[in-house]
Amino acid sequence: MKSFLSLLLALTALNTNLYSAEAGMPQLDPKYWASQAFWLILVFVILYISLSKFYLPKIKSNLDNRENKIKEDLENANKFKEQSEAKLKEYDLILDKAKKEVNKIHFDSKTALDKDIQSKKEIIEKEIEKEILKAQKEISEIKKNSISSIQNISENITADIIEKISGDKLNESSVKAAVEETSKKNLSKYL
Amino acid sequence: MQQFTVHKIGPEINIAGVDLSFTNASLFMVISASLIILLLFFGSKEKKIIPSKIQLIAEMFYTFVAKMISDTAGSKAKPYFPFIFSLFMFVLFCNMVGMLPYSFTVTSHIIVTLIMALFIFMAVTVIGFIKHGFKYLSIFVPSGVPAVLLPLITIIEIISYLSRPVSLSVRLFANMMAGHTMLKVFGGFVVSLGILGGWLPLSFSVALTGLEILVAFLQAYVFAILTCIYLNDALNLHH
Repeated sequence: MKSFLSLLLALTALNTNLYSAEAGMPQLDPKYWASQAFWLILVFVILYISLSKFYLPKIKSNLDNRENKIKEDLENANKFKEQSEAKLKEYDLILDKAKKEVNKIHFDSKTALDKDIQSKKEIIEKEIEKEILKAQKEISEIKKNSISSIQNISENITADIIEKISGDKLNESSVKAAVEETSKKNLSKYL
Repeated sequence: MQQFTVHKIGPEINIAGVDLSFTNASLFMVISASLIILLLFFGSKEKKIIPSKIQLIAEMFYTFVAKMISDTAGSKAKPYFPFIFSLFMFVLFCNMVGMLPYSFTVTSHIIVTLIMALFIFMAVTVIGFIKHGFKYLSIFVPSGVPAVLLPLITIIEIISYLSRPVSLSVRLFANMMAGHTMLKVFGGFVVSLGILGGWLPLSFSVALTGLEILVAFLQAYVFAILTCIYLNDALNLHH
């Protein structure tokens, strides 16, 4: 490190020797002081006037425009947000109302339908009962008829069979009595 | 030191026995001012809501300086915004243009910085007297100081106030000159050590160039912010 520093020092000396011809500070030479002052003031005044008259107001208006635009946009966005929230509330209200209505309609129609079904059921049940009674009557009549006709047929058949077998004609009333007796014994099984 | 020499460009202009010739210093003043005007011209030409790149740069400078002023000098300093903006941009661009090889650094001359500092000093003093009248002299008498120390403190305050233009101008001038001289010295090392040993000073040179760009910005910022602080003293008298 020390050797490096001494090397630096030696080189600095060398350098100052190299440029010794132009040593000294040109800054302290007053030859062009007046010229520098004059041109500085001239250039700076022109710069100042052009900046303050033309460019800075333009930039300022640009920045203000942007700020206003952003503010406006934000305000608009807020307004739209509020509007949409109000609309959403309205929509919710309408939805609630509609739901209630739907429930009501559903309930009403259900009760109406139930009543309808109930009354129709009753009517149909009455009709069915009537039909059943009628059918039962018919059946019992048919039974009675069939019993008497079966007795008649069986009397005839018995008379015929007896006639064919014995060749005699039996008394009708005795045949009838016999048939009736047997039929009373057996027919009840089938009817 | 050849980089700091001023030489005439074009014909000699002599007004009332004073040499006001156009020099390389004048040339680089004009170049710097033109660059600023070009930047602001293209930066304010289009009025886009979403700014283009150059518009963004111009607006960044604007808001940067505006914030600096409002932070240090408050809202009363608003009328002086164009002046401080021009000052900051001019010093910044002179410093930055001076970093280019073969260019001339306007701000490395004491006469240039001294004129700016003197103008600021005088303007601030005049503003202070206009705003506050003779009460402005109370800037030299800080409140809350024991009566024994008051004469001494007042003398110190007066000296520090009067040395403002010197400190302001020498700070900028010395920083710029020292930086460029150092770059030159290390550049000289590169040449004298040749291809074998020249790499070390070369790397130093590269690092120093980066540092000098930082210093160029920093000194412009310091110059502008000190102007704001002096302006604040003149506008808001509270000691």
